[in-house]
Amino acid sequence: MIPVLALIVGVGLGVWLDPTVPPALLPYLPIAVVAALDAVFGGVRAKLDGIFDDKQFVVSFISNVLVAGIIVYLGDQLGVGGQLSTGVVVVLGVRIFGNVAAIRRHLFRA
Amino acid sequence: MTAPRSPGAPARDRTFAPDFLTELFRNPLDPGYADAAARRRSGAAVTGWRRDALRTVTVVTLLALGFLLAIAYRQTMEDEPNRAQARAGLVAQIKQREAETDQLTHQADRLRAEVAKQRDAALTGSDAARLRDLEAATGLGRVRGDGVVVRVADAPAKADAVTGARSGDNLGRVLDSDLQNIANALWSSGAEAISINGQRLTATSTIRAAGEAILVDFRPVTGPYEVSAIGPGGMEKAFRASAAARLLTSVASEHGMSFGVRGVDDLTLPAAAAPQLNYAKPVPQPSGSPSGAGRSSSPQPSGAGRQSSGGGR
Repeated sequence: MIPVLALIVGVGLGVWLDPTVPPALLPYLPIAVVAALDAVFGGVRAKLDGIFDDKQFVVSFISNVLVAGIIVYLGDQLGVGGQLSTGVVVVLGVRIFGNVAAIRRHLFRA
Repeated sequence: MTAPRSPGAPARDRTFAPDFLTELFRNPLDPGYADAAARRRSGAAVTGWRRDALRTVTVVTLLALGFLLAIAYRQTMEDEPNRAQARAGLVAQIKQREAETDQLTHQADRLRAEVAKQRDAALTGSDAARLRDLEAATGLGRVRGDGVVVRVADAPAKADAVTGARSGDNLGRVLDSDLQNIANALWSSGAEAISINGQRLTATSTIRAAGEAILVDFRPVTGPYEVSAIGPGGMEKAFRASAAARLLTSVASEHGMSFGVRGVDDLTLPAAAAPQLNYAKPVPQPSGSPSGAGRSSSPQPSGAGRQSSGGGR
C-alpha cells in the first residue's frame, strides 16, 4: 500500500514542482522511463510470487536506469544511438511483457 | 546475479543458458529475486533497522519513479506544441514568400509594360512594329489570335472496390512527356504561340516532371491542363492528324484520360517572363555585328533574343 502511495506522491510532486530537465538529459528520458518500468514490473511480479526483496528492487531500478542511459549515451557518441536505444527497448520490452504476463496469470489465473 | 541457483548441486553451476534471448523469453524476472528468497529461507534474512531502512529506500525509489514518469509525460506534452508551432511557422514563411514573389512578379510585369510603352514612344513606327513582331514570335509579348485549345486531364484514380484505397499506378495520368508531345505537335502544325495553363512557352521553356507535379518553366501546373496555341487555320486539322494526338486519343479511350481539341477564336496568350540571358551579350558596337552593317546606327539590344528565337524555331 505504502509503495503505491509513494508512487502517486511522486507523480504529484513531478506535476506540482514541474522541474525543467536540462537539455543534455532530454534524450535519455524516454529510455530511462522504459528501464524504470521494467524494474517496476519485475518488482510487482516478485511481490506476487512472494519473493519480493527491497534491496534487489532498488538496485535493479537504479542499475537499469543508469545502464540504459549509459548505453544510449555511448551509442550517441559512436553514432549508433538510434539502433542501440532500439536494442535496449526491445530487450526491456520483452522482459516487461514476460513479467506482465506472469502478473496477469497471478491476478486472473489466465 | 551469478549466485548458484541450487546450492546443493555445484556441478550445475557450469551449465550456461542456451542463449541469451531464449533465457530472456523464458524467464524475464531478475534471478536476484529468487536468490534473495533463497537467502531468506536459509535464515540469512535482514531484520530490524536494516529492514526498515531498505523499506524506506524502496519507498524513496518509487517516489523517484513517479517523479520520473511525471517529468517524462510533461516533457512529451511540452514538445508537441513546439513541433506544431515550428511547422506552422514554416508554413507561414512559405505563404509570405509566395505573396512576396507574386507581388514582385506583378511589379515586374507592370514595369515591363511601362518599358514597352516608353520604347514604343521612343522608336519610330516601323522599328516598333518589327520589335513587336519579334516579341510575339519569341514569346516575350502578349499575343491575340485564333487558334486551338487542347485540353487534357488525368483519369480519375481507380479506387479499389473493397478497401476504397486508390491504386498507385494510374495509367491515365497526364505525364510531362504528354504535354511535351502536344506542344511539339502544335509547333510542327504551324503554331506561332503556345501557352500551357497560362504559361507562355518560349524557345528556352522546359516541361518536366518533379515527382507527381509537372513543371513548366519551373512553375508547377496542375490538371486539367489547357494547351492553347495560336496559328494558321489548318492547325487544328494538322494537329488532329499528328502522332501525339493519335496516341493521346488511344490513351483516352483505353485508360480514361480526358483529351479534347477545339478551335477557339480570339485567344489571348500572355507574355512569358523575360529570359535571363546569362551567356549571350548584346554587342555594344553595331559595326561589330555582321547583320548590322546596312541598318540604322541605333543599337539593337534585342539581338540576343532574336538569336535564341532563331535557334528554337
